[in-house]
Amino acid sequence: MSNIPQSRLRNFSIIAHIDHGKSTLADRLLEATHTVDPRQMTSQVLDSMDLEREKGITIKARAVRLEYVANDGLTYGLNLIDTPGHVDFAYEVSRSLQACDGAILVVDASQGIEAQTLANVHLAMKMGLLIIPVLNKIDLPASDPEAVMNELEETLAIPREEVILASAKEGKGIPEILEALVKRIPAPSGPLDAPLKALVFDSHYDTYKGVVNYVRVQEGRLKMGEAITMMGSGAQCVPVELGYFRPQHVPVQELQAGEVGYVATGLKSVRDARVGDTVTTTLNSATEPLPGYQVALPLVFAGLYPLSGEDYPALREALEKLHLNDASFTFEAESSAALGFGFRCGFLGLLHMEIVQERLEREFTLQLIASAPSCKYQVHLNNSKGEMLINNPAQLPSPNHIDEIREPWVNASIVTPTTYIGTIMDLSTDKRGIFDGMEYLDEKRVVMSFQIPLAELIVDYFDQLKSRTKGYASLDYVESEYRVAPLVKLDILVNGEPVDALSTIIHRDRAQSAGRVLAAKLKELIPRQMFEVPIQAAIGGTIIARETVKAVRKNVLAKCYGGDITRKKKLLEKQKEGKERMKRVGSVEIPQEAFLAVLRTDAD
Amino acid sequence: MPSSAPTPINAQRAQPPRGLYLHVPFCRSLCPYCDFVVIAGAAAFGPRSRMGGYLTAVEREIDLRAKANDAAFGALGEARASAERVPLETLYLGGGTPSLLPAEQLASLISRVRDRFGLVDGAEVTLECNPGADERGDFTASVQAGVTRFSIGAQSMDVAALRELGRRHGPDDVAESIAAARAAGATSVSIDLLADLPGVSLESWAGSLDAALALQPDHISVYALTLAAGGADEGEGSVDDRLATPAGALAWRRRAAAEQDEERGAQELELLDTRLPAAGFNWYEISNWAREGHTSRHNRLYWERAAVEAVGPGAHAFDGATRRWNSANLDAWEEALKNGDLPPGGAAAQISDRDAVAEGLVLSLRMSTGVDREAVVAAGFAEVLEWGETNGLLLPHPEDDARVHLTMRGRLLSNELFSRIV
Repeated sequence: MSNIPQSRLRNFSIIAHIDHGKSTLADRLLEATHTVDPRQMTSQVLDSMDLEREKGITIKARAVRLEYVANDGLTYGLNLIDTPGHVDFAYEVSRSLQACDGAILVVDASQGIEAQTLANVHLAMKMGLLIIPVLNKIDLPASDPEAVMNELEETLAIPREEVILASAKEGKGIPEILEALVKRIPAPSGPLDAPLKALVFDSHYDTYKGVVNYVRVQEGRLKMGEAITMMGSGAQCVPVELGYFRPQHVPVQELQAGEVGYVATGLKSVRDARVGDTVTTTLNSATEPLPGYQVALPLVFAGLYPLSGEDYPALREALEKLHLNDASFTFEAESSAALGFGFRCGFLGLLHMEIVQERLEREFTLQLIASAPSCKYQVHLNNSKGEMLINNPAQLPSPNHIDEIREPWVNASIVTPTTYIGTIMDLSTDKRGIFDGMEYLDEKRVVMSFQIPLAELIVDYFDQLKSRTKGYASLDYVESEYRVAPLVKLDILVNGEPVDALSTIIHRDRAQSAGRVLAAKLKELIPRQMFEVPIQAAIGGTIIARETVKAVRKNVLAKCYGGDITRKKKLLEKQKEGKERMKRVGSVEIPQEAFLAVLRTDAD
Repeated sequence: MPSSAPTPINAQRAQPPRGLYLHVPFCRSLCPYCDFVVIAGAAAFGPRSRMGGYLTAVEREIDLRAKANDAAFGALGEARASAERVPLETLYLGGGTPSLLPAEQLASLISRVRDRFGLVDGAEVTLECNPGADERGDFTASVQAGVTRFSIGAQSMDVAALRELGRRHGPDDVAESIAAARAAGATSVSIDLLADLPGVSLESWAGSLDAALALQPDHISVYALTLAAGGADEGEGSVDDRLATPAGALAWRRRAAAEQDEERGAQELELLDTRLPAAGFNWYEISNWAREGHTSRHNRLYWERAAVEAVGPGAHAFDGATRRWNSANLDAWEEALKNGDLPPGGAAAQISDRDAVAEGLVLSLRMSTGVDREAVVAAGFAEVLEWGETNGLLLPHPEDDARVHLTMRGRLLSNELFSRIV
């Protein structure tokens, strides 16, 4: 592959709502530039993990260099950097965008602009990226380009002359998009002879090459054989390999300012080279790292337990493997009287947790039970015994040892159309939020700021926000401080025994009603057993609610003759499968849904 | 000691049949709770009845199935035939309402089966009947045709309940039918009863039971009324061995299900355990009670996992290794046979030996003879055996402590045990 001068490089991303055609467009760009042989094209090449494709979202950023011969006859290097889109991964999105100089904004011509897109476009504009607007799916009968172009003009001040009409499915508009990338996006301009500064915008762990960082070289050169230092973590290494993606690895000797590619570091842990970090040379280092580096901290914790105790070693191994590739995911061993031996895992948010759990179950074929997620609490003990941090409600000491409990609060900002201001106020104050003010972005949209306890956020705030605003509102939050609150532990006893995995820490004022609702919910979720099962909610030693699951009285097949046998066996097998998905706690079979019942005590 | 222990479960291999099931899919009217393959009304009775076409076709199917068995196992009486190719021990005419068959045709069918498959001396030949005067047929003629056992669809002795169930007879019809069967010289008379009926109290049901017992049948089958939507009795309707359920029947079932009561149903079944032994009946299968010597030999073949051949639309057969069935559609069934072909249908996928053992275990446990403890442990099911005993579902057999069988509680909750076996 020929070396393309900096003036003919373009670094860009594609910003789009789920389903608006980002991946199909990426495929078309790959095809049109002959980056991938059409015979080897599988659909949506870049979304290579099953999981990503199913959830319709991208988790790992990818970068591909397209080589495009433009209308002027010259060859340009177009670096496509793919981005995740969910608020849980906002930090990753911002680092990916920082690696770009422009972005293609894809909007479905039959749907218009969606909330997720708005947040990311604003971020891109704030960072100074040049936006190329593309209306996709113009082939659909429901498409209304005029209306959407108006919308783009009104909400984002994008002139309609700049809009490119396309149908990624049919390949329309692709040549125009490629030319726009060349003509409109500025070439990178970092000095070639300055000390190396490369932004790490993603990383993954490879068994042979160690941590592989995806980098955008901003200044200087990254060379094989030359020692490098991660300015944030301090880790040092000599590159094992470096190059760019086509989308497979293409090793080279050097990456220059303006280029996007990878460097295989040989380092053993992604913690050594985190997203947002700056790579520089060990000798003749840069004096200042690139701006914006943050260590992403897990905010949400849940217990993950194997359904069967013998899977514990397999779970530990799976977590270790996953951890290599996901710097923001943490885990430590813990045990539960109810669920046995497992791990307390830390996630960036609920979506991150769902994804990790699904990957564990799918890639490592493990059957897991997750306990309800919680955040970390600071417990100030009396008798000057100091302070403890707990992330598992079961660890909360008894009330007479506790002076006060502090819970983490976050500063949340919500971008929303003005229509929804009222419902968002209601939702947030319901969740003990404190309104901090509101700022108009334009005449139709505002940013609302709230302080809100993280515990309230992780229950179902995001889902409620989306459903109340028809998906238009977007949420961003950042940790602020710990504050005192009158919190108590709500315990659940099943068949007379406390089930630690069902305990939650809850605000004292809510505890009574939450206990009643939770007991009622569990009565529906816990299937009938061979004996009667009392379910009780308790605070301290006091029972505040009680329900009973009646014993199963009759479960018999009346007829079992020739024609029945095949059919009835299926029924028995269904009953068997139902039982297998449950965890035996004491003598009661409890399904996964019961452990997550604590999640939704307010909703429905 | 149980008089005949079930056949041991071998690794699966095809065997010639020991019994034959013949399905007669005609009724005068459809009962709303029925899940069997039945057509009713004009198609079943009267000048436009399809009985004629059916009879021709079923005779042809008997011939074709016999030929197939001859090819596989050698013909009866042939020197090279497998040692197991012997005359049938049982023939069962089920339906629908088999007693609607004209006597002459009934005789002809039984005769054809005897001819092609053989029937041992003293073979059990069962005919299902409805007790109604215009449905019960002629018991004397039936016995002359070869029927030895009558199974009478009484369902209840309570007038109101019978009306609610859509039955066409009254309690007196049941009495008359039993008397007529006895007079005709039947070897064995059985009645069917339903439990957990909508709108019937425990007391009423007990009264109806007593009235039935007073008629002194030899055998009683009691089934809790199971109401599932869509003609698929609690199972998946993915096979074509059922017909679609009419909308009216579905509506009836929804209403009726709302009036059923699990507790009452359980109490009624428990009541059997006190009343029936006193009247001389012993339970030999979860739903079946008999006086000494009057168990249904044909049905025991199913629970013993023996090979049973089957003819007629929707009929199910088993050859020891594979379960096979005919499609329920009467037109398709008749058409194929008219052309001299075996009727369309399906077959269950081959199951592993372990699953066959599990199946055998479940079927054996439905019977009072139960299972041999050591055999079960050796087959790898010790844990579930222990679970059953700990939870009061299994007990050593009173006459042979090498065996275990279901307790009363075990019968009521048998699926809890069975779902842990399959």
